[in-house]
Amino acid sequence: MKKKVIDDISRIVGDEFISTRPDVLLTYTQSASMASDPIMPGAVVRPANKEQVCEILKIAGENKIPVTPRSGGSSLQEEVIPEPDGLVVELMRLKEITLHKELRSVTVGAGVTFGELEKYLKEHDLLLPVYPESALVCTVAGNVSVNGAGPGSSLYGCIGELVLGIEVVLPDGTIITTGSEANPNASGPYQRYSFGPDITGLFIGSLGSFGIITKVSMKVYKRYKFYDYNTYGFETHEQSEHFMVDIKQHDINGIFTSLYEGPVLELFMDMIGEELGIPAHEWPFSTVSMTIGSVREDLMKSDAKLAKKLCVKNGGHVIGISQLPKQEWNGRLWFFVRACYVHGWHWRTLYHHQTPTNAHQSVEVIRKAMDKYGFLGHTAGFVSGHSSFNAYPHLYFDPQDPEDEQKIRDAHKELAKALFKTGAVPFKMAEYWSDAIEGMDSYMALLELVKKTIDSQKIMSPRKLGGI
Amino acid sequence: MDHSVVQKLTAIVGEEFISTRKDVLLTYSASASTSYDPVIPGAVVKPADTQEVSEILKIANEHKILVTPRAGGSSLQGEVIPKKDGLVIDLLRLTEIKVYQDLRSVTVGSGINFGNLDKFLNQYDLWLPVYPGSSLSATVVGNVAVNGSGFGSPKYGCIAELVLGLEVVLPNGEIIQTGSEANPNAPGPFLRYAFGPDLTGLFIGSLGVFGIITKVSLKIFKRMHHFDYNTYGFETPQEAEKFILQCKENEISATWISIYEGRILDFFLEMVGEEYGVPQHEWPPFTVSMVIGRVREDQLVSDSKAAKEICEQAGGHVIGIVELPREEWNDRMREFVRSSYIHGWHWRILYHHQTLSQWHRTLEEMWPIFDEFGVLGHTAGFQSGHSSYNYYPQIYYDPQDEEDEGKAKAAHKELAKRLFKTGAVPFKLAPYWVDGITEMEPYLEFLKGFRKAIDPNNIMSPSAIPRIEGEGE
Amino acid sequence: MTEVDLEELMENLAQCRRCGICRDAVYEKMGFDGVCPVWKNTAGFETSFMRGRIQVAIALIEGRLEKTEENAESLYTCTLCGSCTSICAAEFDPAKCLESVRQVLNEIPNETRDTIAKKIIENNNPYVDENKTRRNWVKEVGFDIPSTGEVLYFTGCTAGLKLPETAISTAKVLKAAGVDFAVLEDEPCCGSVMIRTGMVVEAKENAEKALDMILKSGAKKILVTCAGCLKTLREDFRERFGLDMPEVLHVVEYLQSLITSGKLKLKKSDKTQKITWHDPCHLGRALGVYEEPREVIKAIPGLELVEMNTNKEAAMCCGAGGGLRSYDSGLAKKIAADRIRDAEDTGAEILATACPFCEHNLKDGAASIESNIKVVDILDLLAQRLE
Repeated sequence: MKKKVIDDISRIVGDEFISTRPDVLLTYTQSASMASDPIMPGAVVRPANKEQVCEILKIAGENKIPVTPRSGGSSLQEEVIPEPDGLVVELMRLKEITLHKELRSVTVGAGVTFGELEKYLKEHDLLLPVYPESALVCTVAGNVSVNGAGPGSSLYGCIGELVLGIEVVLPDGTIITTGSEANPNASGPYQRYSFGPDITGLFIGSLGSFGIITKVSMKVYKRYKFYDYNTYGFETHEQSEHFMVDIKQHDINGIFTSLYEGPVLELFMDMIGEELGIPAHEWPFSTVSMTIGSVREDLMKSDAKLAKKLCVKNGGHVIGISQLPKQEWNGRLWFFVRACYVHGWHWRTLYHHQTPTNAHQSVEVIRKAMDKYGFLGHTAGFVSGHSSFNAYPHLYFDPQDPEDEQKIRDAHKELAKALFKTGAVPFKMAEYWSDAIEGMDSYMALLELVKKTIDSQKIMSPRKLGGI
Repeated sequence: MDHSVVQKLTAIVGEEFISTRKDVLLTYSASASTSYDPVIPGAVVKPADTQEVSEILKIANEHKILVTPRAGGSSLQGEVIPKKDGLVIDLLRLTEIKVYQDLRSVTVGSGINFGNLDKFLNQYDLWLPVYPGSSLSATVVGNVAVNGSGFGSPKYGCIAELVLGLEVVLPNGEIIQTGSEANPNAPGPFLRYAFGPDLTGLFIGSLGVFGIITKVSLKIFKRMHHFDYNTYGFETPQEAEKFILQCKENEISATWISIYEGRILDFFLEMVGEEYGVPQHEWPPFTVSMVIGRVREDQLVSDSKAAKEICEQAGGHVIGIVELPREEWNDRMREFVRSSYIHGWHWRILYHHQTLSQWHRTLEEMWPIFDEFGVLGHTAGFQSGHSSYNYYPQIYYDPQDEEDEGKAKAAHKELAKRLFKTGAVPFKLAPYWVDGITEMEPYLEFLKGFRKAIDPNNIMSPSAIPRIEGEGE
Repeated sequence: MTEVDLEELMENLAQCRRCGICRDAVYEKMGFDGVCPVWKNTAGFETSFMRGRIQVAIALIEGRLEKTEENAESLYTCTLCGSCTSICAAEFDPAKCLESVRQVLNEIPNETRDTIAKKIIENNNPYVDENKTRRNWVKEVGFDIPSTGEVLYFTGCTAGLKLPETAISTAKVLKAAGVDFAVLEDEPCCGSVMIRTGMVVEAKENAEKALDMILKSGAKKILVTCAGCLKTLREDFRERFGLDMPEVLHVVEYLQSLITSGKLKLKKSDKTQKITWHDPCHLGRALGVYEEPREVIKAIPGLELVEMNTNKEAAMCCGAGGGLRSYDSGLAKKIAADRIRDAEDTGAEILATACPFCEHNLKDGAASIESNIKVVDILDLLAQRLE
């Protein structure tokens, strides 16, 4: 990167917060994404506030320097791998949290992680009820830009559904605020759908392609006081899948509803069952693990009772092991990270969504790929909103065996195609989906038009969005 | 309109479904929006399906003909008033409905109104739980384009929050499907946030400026059969606001919550009280009328009890008059219309949202303006989602008295400005808001960029959001 | 074992899948309110916490990054406090691995590291030329201390040469408890800092010398007041160098039963002071000694123990460890100041610890922010309250 550019940026952020040292750049060549090729950026900058972000983007624009925004660096699908000699804008210094208690909302800077926010909100007896797997690392704003989901999503949907507005710096340096806060007189965020059309959505799942989100405003809720944890066993796919639909249809507050196939659950339990104190059990063909949460005890009890009834109605039986869902929920900031890393493998993931009644299709497609390519892995998933099911297949490989890694990359690619054919969809158009999608030309054309309109110089997160 | 264009359009839709007759055009020069100047378009077409809409837009784009899409024609803020010699595309023939029971969703063509859909879903014991005031004439698609709300919104928010995806024809004729159905293999609509970024939102509240929505897919729910109706009295607005906030925080499943200032309630009941069988009562300074709805009876009993407790904790008292909320709810597809027209006035409306905790601010601005401008009117509203309150002040005038109408228009304009200063927001950038708002230039510029990119010829819904249009018109 | 099995090390480093939990996790359930003190107190680039350091380490070892002093800076800008190890979701001890990495890469120039090692080899301590002065404090205790005996008080370089009050207090306390103990005439350094900074061959040479001197004193039991000495003598001497050591105990471990059983009599107090406890990394996370010092404090009349926001496994570091105090004293002080603020947040008047190295750095940290909190060694507290 040209010295002049570095000097200009240094003047904005101060020498301390920009680096071109090879050791520093090296650590920005990758993220938590595995089996991805590291790419060396030209500089990394850590701005302190939105004004600095704005100035930096202006300079990047003038010099046509590709920009990769980054915060927690925990993304798994190459979202923050930079461009060669590009600029990484790392946002962890934007740490502001503002609670709007009467508006039931909170505004957080791009450097605030779910873990930090959880601690903060807990002091006010509130919660942001969606926790991505990497909640201790990942920032709320980052999660909005990749549109994640996790525990809590079974009731509230993906993080996108909780957004009330954002503050974003556009590639030309313009700062806009969306939602009710677009009105500078507003007392805070209280309505996303203000001043329609809704432009907030454009930045949800945008993978940083349209600008840098510097703040997000989110709905918050009163913390649950009462929980029921239970496991429900089924002998067929249809039984467990219809049970999941029934739960939603009967207005049961299942805040986290996971579905595990027998062998997958056995694998998980082998890894962390003992550590989490989950009793040994002959798990059935498929198991639904559900946490019901409520602010009122009688509602929770009523839900728990009805869930049991619906389980039996669908041909299942109540297993009664509460430790699994309890650990999933109570350990929600930790459980998944632990399960992802305890086994020692490296892996690629392929987050996607099915309809609940199609959940088994993902399992079948993944099993086929495992047989064909001869790799280890698994998939499980959870109800992720009104009628979707978020599956998170892991494809294991040995990082010290390049052949093994290549196999996984190939399998991953093919799997995306096969999943697309089953009707699965991703929350966001991550790069690898672009090869998998067929029959979406006009959609992609519109996306490209949007990109061209907002980022005419194409400096923001190049390639990330479906390759455009 | 140029004859050759009319011929081309005729070739697409067939002679029966295009008209340039004066009497027909006259009926498309206005809508339910009162106090808007009628404008005679050049032609009206009624396409049968998405493909025809696409063909029509290609022609319009080629000839730079100004297009105004229209469905129910029930909008109140001038959204479908056409341009002189422009083309009105009436979408009422797109009447497809498809329910996906396992996906808890439904897809409707742009000709389906809330009344049609409610009847259809009732067969499956399902519903789309947001009912705008004009449910019997407003189409679901049209409501998405203006982003409405109504009965059911306290629990489910505005209609936008129920959208799972839509099919839209861009000004160049390109057909786009958003949401999970963007995947042609998808078994139906099950997720809005698919293939992010969320493109669906761009068309919600867009007032037709980016294209014509031909289909929309929405979340549906099992129909509630257990309801509790009650009224709660308070001495101060703060108490009433606190009551509602706590009901929301404590998972009270309220499908309808309305706060009435004493004098407005008296006025309202004078109009429809007897008709709805609401008993005479000395109403307190502030009354909350609430409907709690549940799928399960035990939940309802619990909610009802909890609401009463919360009311008393907030410093209020349970009035116990059930007829008001019950009749409002049961007549939800007609009640707004009835109370809006029973009095005989014409009026201008100014939909907007306040925060729940600022409910009283709108009244504080509105009454003095009414005095200043010497107009009559009132406002009612309802809680509309996570923490907002939807207001719909109506400013009355006599349609046969030009001066009176002028006063209403002026008061309307001033009210928009002052409400903006209180921090109120509209669901969509309707024209009169654009005048009232300040310090939002970057936001408007952003939209302008889109408008230019998506509709370079500026043909779609001209003047619907004036400040985002290019200069080339 | 002074040789690092490189293959095993690389396998271990591959356990890091860069999730980043070692940066700033806030996780109440495990007691964490942040993880890496270096990340928090520097410009905060990825190189400043473990995920980045491991990437740098792998690249240096594999030759993808040139082995220069600057490129290795991040490897040394770490206190090895082990906070990251406590929260790491993988089966992996990143802090321990980094120690091995420093060893494998010790050909990379690093003047600070080399100077310390040289001084220790030459002088038996990292601080002064004349090592014998480290026994000067003995003259001030008011009784004679032999240089041989079954119980050896191994003072450590910092207490001996920088904070003799701790040594004096320890001697008084041991005497009051009726313990006959010895202090070596020309006490060597335990060599902890050499091990931490990768100078393991030198550390082994030093350890053998030290053991020889210790054994010559007739020691059957070694008491220490420094957490670093404890970890090194108890664990590293045996595990790394295969040396057969007598039992090594921290005085707080040794005294706990004497105090709680009332054998060591302490003065009553009519006022109550709030006190908080800083877990030295080498005492706590490394060896799991959490309860003993707390029990000791609770047994001291007039003290009310209040915990800091982060404590035990999740305790933030004082900033001195892993060679950081020498390598980047400014940063070490900043980290210490942070820890002082944690202590102040509890409302305590006293911050106690059981490691002169921690104490020394925390005092500097307190001075840098003009804090009034009293930083003391737990032995000083005991000594003041002897009957």
